[in-house]
Parts: sequence; structure tokens; C-alpha cells
Amino acid sequence: MALLLRTVARQGLCSSRSQFGILYRHAVPMGTTAKEEMNKFWTKNTRLNRPVSPHISIYQWSVPMLLSISHRGTGVGLSSGISAFALAALVLPESYPYYLDLIHSMSFGPQFLAFTKFALAFPVAFHTFNGVRHLIWDVGKGFKIPEVYRSGYVVIALTVLASIGLAAM
Amino acid sequence: MAALVRLSSVCHRGVSPLLFRSSSLIRPLAIQKKDQDYPYLISAKIHATPSNYAGSGSKAASLHWTGERILSIALLGMAPAAYYFPGPAVDYSLAAALTLHGHWGLGQVLTDYVHGDFKIKMANAGLFVLSTITFAGLCYFNYHDVGICKAVALLWSK
Repeated sequence: MALLLRTVARQGLCSSRSQFGILYRHAVPMGTTAKEEMNKFWTKNTRLNRPVSPHISIYQWSVPMLLSISHRGTGVGLSSGISAFALAALVLPESYPYYLDLIHSMSFGPQFLAFTKFALAFPVAFHTFNGVRHLIWDVGKGFKIPEVYRSGYVVIALTVLASIGLAAM
Repeated sequence: MAALVRLSSVCHRGVSPLLFRSSSLIRPLAIQKKDQDYPYLISAKIHATPSNYAGSGSKAASLHWTGERILSIALLGMAPAAYYFPGPAVDYSLAAALTLHGHWGLGQVLTDYVHGDFKIKMANAGLFVLSTITFAGLCYFNYHDVGICKAVALLWSK
């Protein structure tokens, strides 16, 4: 023990050198898994009805944060849309062209149609481009903070351009 | 003893906190002789996979992660395929890829926000039912109706 302390002192205390090799001599594995630990946390705290500290309501929002939650939001939204479409296909009596003609006959203005196309294309485009940004992170690139912001702005720009382009088709 | 106190006050960050927990700051010197008897007093608690866990699905999470990425890339490729080669092959591939991508994606959302063994189980069961219905509906649409590619083309032709 004293030997260990002297070793530490000699190497310069304030360095952040990892000396875990020495310390693991006395490492004891816990009997629970990380998942069990997390469950224990939630059951205990919900049982005691403890309030959650404010986090998203007080932390200053940043562009990367907004893009991240939008990625999740568009994902959930698009998935719900696809599921709703699939359910409709199973439940509704008539065929797709029938319902499409129904919408045609309502004769909406061209601007409204263009806007609808834009509104449909936007989440698809955003989720796709931000998805590529995620895949780039997954191969380990682009984690520096300026790069994170830059790629984020590129995603926003591409999304707007692609949505306009698709709405014009 | 004084040296130890000086050490701890000067540098709290640099040395591993395992060793200098506030409760055991002074103790190490005092127990140096009894170190062999009570090693756990200064031991680290770590999450190590016990050897008896080995093999039982230990690579499952990692493989799932890789599968998610591969599926994403495949789905990316299906977009130009749907535009340039519309037809039943792309229709059914899209149905499968979209459903699975959505299923795995929503699964991650549930993992993040749903807590408690029973609620997790219920939420995942519900998701499974939803994904099954989604895939069934898309396949039905592909078979009995115009198909996904044609549907998008028709919708856009307005």
C-alpha cells in the first residue's frame, strides 16, 4: 500500500496517467448487470415518486440537439405514417386509384398540392440526409464539434433543396 | 500521514478516484498492514461480465447494431432503385426494409423511454404487433393493389 502511494507520488500525482493495471489487482466485479442496475434505479425512484430534475426545459438548445431530436421525431412520424397506410390498405374497401381520384375530384389549388408534396418530402429528405450523417459518425468520422455543426448545416441545406426539388416534380 | 493529506488536497482529479474516495482518504495508510486481510476496502467495483455469462448472447447487441447499419445502407440504395426500376421486386424489398428499419428504430425509442420490466415487455409486444400488421398491410397492397412504387408515382402525378 505504501509502495503504491510512493509509486503514484513519483510519477507525478496530477497526471491523468492510467494506472488501472495496478489498481485492478483489487477489482471486484459487481453481481448485477448494467441493465439490472438501471432497472433498480427506475423502480426505486418511481416508487418513491421522486420528481425528475429539469433538463430539457432548462438546458440551452443547440443546433445539433435540435437535429438529433428531429431525426427521432421524423423517424417516429414517418414510421407511423407507413403503419397507418398499411392499416388503411387492409381495412379500406376500395383500391388506391379510387381514393386518389377522390382527392383529384376535390380540385385543390396547385399551390396547395405543391405545399402538400413539400410537406411529405421534407421529413423523408431530412431523415435520409441526417441518417447519412449518422452513418458517417458510425465509421468514426466527423466528431469534432465544428464538424458536427458544419455537417448539420449541410443536412439542413440539402433537405430544403431536395424538398423543393421533389415538390416541383 | 500528513503527506497523504497533502496529496489528496493538492490533486483530486489526476489520481484515480478509486483510490482516494473521500471516505477512505486517511484509511489506506492505516490499513496498510491489514491490506491482505481486507482487500475489498480499497477495491474498485466494476461491471465485468462474469465468466458464467460468457457465450449467452454476449455478441447479440453488437450484431444487432451492425445489422441496423447494414439495413440503413440497403434502404438508402432502394430509393434510386425504386425510381429507376419500379416493380414488384423493389416493392416487396421496400416493404420488408421499411418495416424492419421502422421496427428497429422504434425499438430503440422504447428502450430509451420505457422503464420497468413489465412496461418494457408490453411495449415491445405492442411494437411487434404493429410491425407485423404494417408488413402484412404493405404486402397486401403490393399484391392486390398498385404497389408502393406505382403508388408514389401516381400520388406525385397530380
